[in-house]
Amino acid sequence: MIRDYIEKTLAPRIQGDGGWVEYVSLEGDKLTLVFRGECSKCEILDRCENWIAAKIQEDLGQTVQVTGIRKKPFFWDK
Amino acid sequence: MAHVAVVRRSMRPEEWTDLRFVWLQRGIVSDQEEVTGLTIRDARQISENAYEYTDGEARPLNRGDLYFTPDGTAFIRGNARIPERFRGKNVYLALKTAAEMIVRVNGRLVGGIDPNRERILLNPYIDRDELEIEIEAYNRSKPDDERNPAALSKKGCRQVFDGLYLETIRDNVQSLVYDYILLMDIAHSEYFNEDYRKFLFAELSRALDKIDFDTWEGVDEAAAYVQKVIYDNTDFRGSGDVALVGHSHLDIAYYWRRIHAVQKNARTILIQLRLMDKYPEFKYTHTQAYTYETLEKYYPELFAELKEKIAKGQFEPVGAMYVEPDCNIPAAESLIRQFLYGQHYFRRAFGKTLDNAWLPDVFGNSWIMPQILKKSGVDYFVSNKMSTWNDTNRFPHNNFIWKGIDGSTVYACVPPTHFITWNMPSQIQENWEAYQDKEAGGQTLSMYGYGDGGSGVTEEMLELARRFSKVSVMPKTEMTGGAAFLHKNLKDNPKLATWDGELYLEMHRGTFTTKSNLKKMNRALEFKLREAELRASLAAREGAAYPAEELRECWKKLLLNQFHDILPGSHIHPVYEDAMADYREIDERLEKLLTAEQQDTWFNSLPWARTGLTFIPDETGEVCRDGQKGYWSRPGIAGLASGKAERLQGVPGWLKTAELPGGQLRIETPLYQLTLNPDGSFASWTMEGREWVRSGCGFNRLHLWADNPGVYDAWDILPNYKDVEAKLTVAEPVRQARADDVSAEFTVTFTTEKSSWRMIIRLFADSRAAEVEHIVDWHEKHRLAKVNFGPDLLTRELVCDTSAGFIRRPLTKNTSWEQARFETCHHKWFDMSETGAGIAVINSGKYGVGLEGDEVSLSLLRSTIRPDITSDMGNHDIRYLILPHAGDAVTAEINRQAFAYNVPLRKGKITVPEAWRQAVTESGLWLQSLKLAEDGGMLVARLSEQDGMRRQLRCPGRVRLLNMLEDIQGEAEQIDVRPFEIVTIGIPME
Repeated sequence: MIRDYIEKTLAPRIQGDGGWVEYVSLEGDKLTLVFRGECSKCEILDRCENWIAAKIQEDLGQTVQVTGIRKKPFFWDK
Repeated sequence: MAHVAVVRRSMRPEEWTDLRFVWLQRGIVSDQEEVTGLTIRDARQISENAYEYTDGEARPLNRGDLYFTPDGTAFIRGNARIPERFRGKNVYLALKTAAEMIVRVNGRLVGGIDPNRERILLNPYIDRDELEIEIEAYNRSKPDDERNPAALSKKGCRQVFDGLYLETIRDNVQSLVYDYILLMDIAHSEYFNEDYRKFLFAELSRALDKIDFDTWEGVDEAAAYVQKVIYDNTDFRGSGDVALVGHSHLDIAYYWRRIHAVQKNARTILIQLRLMDKYPEFKYTHTQAYTYETLEKYYPELFAELKEKIAKGQFEPVGAMYVEPDCNIPAAESLIRQFLYGQHYFRRAFGKTLDNAWLPDVFGNSWIMPQILKKSGVDYFVSNKMSTWNDTNRFPHNNFIWKGIDGSTVYACVPPTHFITWNMPSQIQENWEAYQDKEAGGQTLSMYGYGDGGSGVTEEMLELARRFSKVSVMPKTEMTGGAAFLHKNLKDNPKLATWDGELYLEMHRGTFTTKSNLKKMNRALEFKLREAELRASLAAREGAAYPAEELRECWKKLLLNQFHDILPGSHIHPVYEDAMADYREIDERLEKLLTAEQQDTWFNSLPWARTGLTFIPDETGEVCRDGQKGYWSRPGIAGLASGKAERLQGVPGWLKTAELPGGQLRIETPLYQLTLNPDGSFASWTMEGREWVRSGCGFNRLHLWADNPGVYDAWDILPNYKDVEAKLTVAEPVRQARADDVSAEFTVTFTTEKSSWRMIIRLFADSRAAEVEHIVDWHEKHRLAKVNFGPDLLTRELVCDTSAGFIRRPLTKNTSWEQARFETCHHKWFDMSETGAGIAVINSGKYGVGLEGDEVSLSLLRSTIRPDITSDMGNHDIRYLILPHAGDAVTAEINRQAFAYNVPLRKGKITVPEAWRQAVTESGLWLQSLKLAEDGGMLVARLSEQDGMRRQLRCPGRVRLLNMLEDIQGEAEQIDVRPFEIVTIGIPME
């Protein structure tokens, strides 16, 4: 459910800003996501993670804690 | 003796001046009243003028709140009243944001706010103290070009709302701030004289000594000191003559979708109009008919205002094209349509035919362009990247004459510095110093203004410009228009040098290959549009209704997607999805137009007989090619005629195969002997005793190279790409998969850890040609797939199709210019020939070709991750034809064969008047287009000479000679066509 919501509802919006999010796992309330593209170097990614959690709460009624894993491309991995 | 680094811990005098300059800027605002009670509603844009609300109803928006969502548009509303204490003063609406905002007050568009401007003057646009404020705000995602660190720190999908304010300002502080922006830039810039900079720092400090930064007393004294001591000082002298042209580059899609460009464009134009209200000397240039078209459609009120400013000459449409397209990949007819629809729009909307093309951001320019420019009413060409981005050689001119493939010439300008500047003295000085035609070219061009929704010129840029003449060390500057600059400096200038050749950009070489499916669809649709127009025109001649609007819309949609960050593949994933959806839509619409009733008759739209092997789609056919079933035919249908396309009757027993030690396969046909390696590369190919494959080289050899160009991932292929070859495993070595009396197929299967790749080598009983099809499920990262051809030929040049003639490119690596052109753009074919014989490779949608000394490589696929991490992932079907031939590319009629390979034979019983059919087919010209004139009054035929020779078109009656805008230039019955010339004629409907 959450995976589907992220892939079909939230991911396209994040792609609209050159970002990229992928579902990794949901263990209990711990939702792990991978962030690529522009998200991987965003200085305020925590705000976006909180927004994702809020949207899940709002639309699916589920409380999650988002843990983001940044996957920077090699040319930003300094 | 040990070296001791001296660390200066106290403040340098220059730093003291820098610090007080920051304080000075804090004094601009004299009074402030926060606008409270605001509401915000989050939305997402879903089309050019439609939004879906994403987070429910409007909610309160207070200072400190987070606002905006990913890919979000926010609608902010509120009411305010101008405080009594502001009466009689200029009142501003102010907001610091990294977003892009259009602001309406009391229903009127008052201006824009973005990272480069935070304040809008209200007085000229309001008539009462009560204000109803409406803000449409798009959350900006552009990754570069801002210079304001404060704005950058606010950037992101979720921003903190800093509050909306009504403000008054201290005009004298603001004015002095502009003085300091100007003079501090010079003081800090190494482009200026060191003694003058030392003088500036000292005197700027003394001026600031006069200010009390608590009470703001002494500002006028400081300004007077700056005037007297700095501006009035003429002891130091500069040189140069720079034309300043206001401009805002706008990528229609890039890190945003094309639907967002509508708002970006409207806001940019709004801001420029508001500046024109205040600065009557300000002139601004704006490109792309499409952007005006969307403004007219979605912002009619603004468009009406724009028309007034255009009529006054302040706002100047430049760049006669529909969009700023890529200028490597679109075929000649597409480039012509860019001008046709662009110029016709400018004529209809503003009564103007523009005489310049304005393409500063494109990734190189094809050699076919000067002729197209000239015949589209365009005498001047402006580009930029080859003078500022070349990675190897410095392009030798900035103002020059560009000579095209057919000998046509246009005036050209590639300014010495970037097309986005913010009009700082250091940028102007840098421009002058880099300018290479100081003695011959007149003024140098400096474009100023932020791009891509950064929204062009700012008040600061114009205030600086008013001060330039007061600074003795600066070059002479002139605020002027785009056309005025070109006319003044290039027109009839006898000193200009000539560049005869393509304007190759020594960078962004990957854009010929990235996002393969876009290129493939673009090619297919270019030819499908030709077919649809041609058939509709012939039908119209016999009384049928001509679907003019439908065809025009299809063309415009294709042209839009030829924008220089769409077709080249340098964009985020949603842009790709939009483009593919557009392509599918165009394809469906054209398919409806092309549906024929005749089930067993085929129309050959080529202007010559279709005698070669032709694939005929047929559900009952035994061959599967490009995902379609069908059969092979040699229809023999005359040019522009209808006929049958029967299945070819083949040669029983034509194929002999034998397995050789080491997994090779030896194949013998009536025409040649071919030995295939296990990986499908050709070990030997002999015909009548002549070997075509050079020993030790790969021929049809597939390679995967590590492709790590860095930040410009989608754009670039680096010269070192062959340093590391990635593993490509032959999972199933070459084997015979099928054969009948006409053709045979041999397949090889490759795998990597992530991808699978099937190569089909298709041979024919009665042809020397071999077709290769690659069916790929591609899931690589940072890999470049190429197929190499090392033929046994003594040649030092590669002949490449440009879509309107061919270009000869050196294969040698003697000079840095040759070395830099290791990857170039071609169209349907390339050919390597020695005297008497050669090999051509004809493709159906590929553009990148590598020049590797004795070998040539066709670039098949890339797998880049920026800006789109999914770029090129998934399924691909790629085809090319390898064609050994006698003679050279011209005598072997490679052009004709390449057109036949790319133009599918379609059903239809269509009659072309015999006299005209004969005239066209006998001319040897390519019938590039046949359409109804834009005004519907005649048939318009465009024919192009593709082989570099002189030909004649003997028409059966008098025809009108047209330019590419369909303007009548004369009349003739017999037309002498020069090498590589494109002619357009108007034929009366009767």
